[in-house]
Amino acid sequence: MTKLKVGVYGITGCAGCQLSIIFNEDDLLDLIELVDLKAFPFIKEVNPDEQYDIIFVEGLVADKGDLETIKKLRKNAKVLVALGACAATGCVPAYRNFTLKENYEHLLYRKIKELQDVQPTPVDMHVAVDYYLPGCPPDKRQILAFIKGAVKGAIPKPTDNPVCVECRQNGNVCLLEQGKPCLGPITVGGCNAVCVNGGLECWGCRGPTKDMNLPLMISLLKRKGFDEKFIQDRMRTFVGLKLPMLKEVLHGKNHHA
Amino acid sequence: MVLYRLEKKRLGELIGRLMLDAEVIAPVKKDVVRFLPIAHPEEIHLERNAFFPAKEYFFPQHQTLFQFDGKSFAPVIPKPKKRVFFGLRRCDLTAIRHQDLAFEEVKDPYYETMRKSALLIGYHCPKAPSPYCFCGSLPQIEFFDLMFFDQQTGFLVETGSEKGEQIVREHPELFALTDLPKPDTKIPGADRLHVENIAPLYDHPDWKKGADQCLSCGACTALCPTCYCFEIHDEVSTANPDAGKRSRSWSSCQLPGFTRVAGDHVFRKERDHRFKHRIFHQLEYFKEKHGVPLCVGCGRCIEACPTRIDFVKLLNEMKT
Repeated sequence: MTKLKVGVYGITGCAGCQLSIIFNEDDLLDLIELVDLKAFPFIKEVNPDEQYDIIFVEGLVADKGDLETIKKLRKNAKVLVALGACAATGCVPAYRNFTLKENYEHLLYRKIKELQDVQPTPVDMHVAVDYYLPGCPPDKRQILAFIKGAVKGAIPKPTDNPVCVECRQNGNVCLLEQGKPCLGPITVGGCNAVCVNGGLECWGCRGPTKDMNLPLMISLLKRKGFDEKFIQDRMRTFVGLKLPMLKEVLHGKNHHA
Repeated sequence: MVLYRLEKKRLGELIGRLMLDAEVIAPVKKDVVRFLPIAHPEEIHLERNAFFPAKEYFFPQHQTLFQFDGKSFAPVIPKPKKRVFFGLRRCDLTAIRHQDLAFEEVKDPYYETMRKSALLIGYHCPKAPSPYCFCGSLPQIEFFDLMFFDQQTGFLVETGSEKGEQIVREHPELFALTDLPKPDTKIPGADRLHVENIAPLYDHPDWKKGADQCLSCGACTALCPTCYCFEIHDEVSTANPDAGKRSRSWSSCQLPGFTRVAGDHVFRKERDHRFKHRIFHQLEYFKEKHGVPLCVGCGRCIEACPTRIDFVKLLNEMKT
């Protein structure tokens, strides 16, 4: 059987999501036997520019170079996987879309013109994405399950369960009950509620569920004493571009602020 | 009817003796009250019922069912563990019986193994322990090995099985035969549900009211002592993807993926359909099959709900 040819690339990102693949230490030696890990510039010297069965891409499009790279990767990949929150939803770097230019302009590398050219955006706003492994960082077991599924010809169906499902299975007491602005009920699970297990409320890094009840989530947070600005900022931190309806739901249809 | 009396100050002695050859699981006050294995009898907390039910001890959140290697498979049956559950309320005992009915339907060796080795000691609520309780509106059965009734200085202890009687026989210096009458089993303050038959309410428009307050987070079903739905996962080994294990995890009818079938069809897409289905399964469908409603009125699904959807109140209002 020919092995699946796999590439792992990064555009603008912190490399943490690529590390999440490597963090599967116990399985790593078996993994490189299972697939042909042909390109992985983060850890490999030779990375041929050719056709791949699967390409994982980490990071978001934030400059001209990213744009060229992502188009090339799309062309090279039978299956393109958005690896991690930046690639999948834009994550924190895409927050720049929601603030005025004067707030960040002085922080940019002014001398390198091309770094300022592109609005920071997730991969699927530029090319088609076949599969998402969301999260900041993505769950390492989920990455492994995806690769093994691909090898068997049975890619796992992505879940739409909210974080709360695993959170309750873990016996956690709801952080909303403790007055924390937890976004678990509207956020895609699969992370084993790792933040809530450690006492930190969910910030929504894995993106909104298709089934989310956003108006209720917002009114619940308001009832808990959080104001509109706080709710908007929090919900935009990781997935602002995936919540285009947020402003309307938050302020009502006729609000133009 | 035979009743025994146990001095309250000697409860620790009894529990200590039971701990000699069994794991004793009882309500313990942590961040909330939880059923936990205890190390000392003083940890037992009886003022409030446990926030989480005891079901995970029989039907764990995640459980491996069998392992396979591409040619054959081998079931992974859990090792029976001798356990004594102390302080189960009447609702939780009835809930265990109702889960028995569900898992007996198709003999489930995983559940059966854990259940068979368990001894159930009840604690009769002197009054409703939570404002969400409504066990008085639903049939509670007499289902226990021993039942403890809280009196001022002692417990009246009723035996409900041969296993329970054996405990009394083994510790004659702790249990004194008494001719006191059996206390009233009605629990004050727990008659909140005033609808006996919900079938005529199926098309009522107010189901939407409940669903509008629903985040579909699945807290209600996870904390329900009777909800028994699960989903199946396969995990293959990286060294040999033909080998691996199949396991099950708790699932919830409140999730849209719960009714997804081949071809990606979802039967209950709408939130109000899912919400209504939960209540109908609890109060109506299970009754049609087994003669008793599944719900036992513990109120956990309401207490744990982030928006406190009180389906009891909703049903009462639908009726009027």
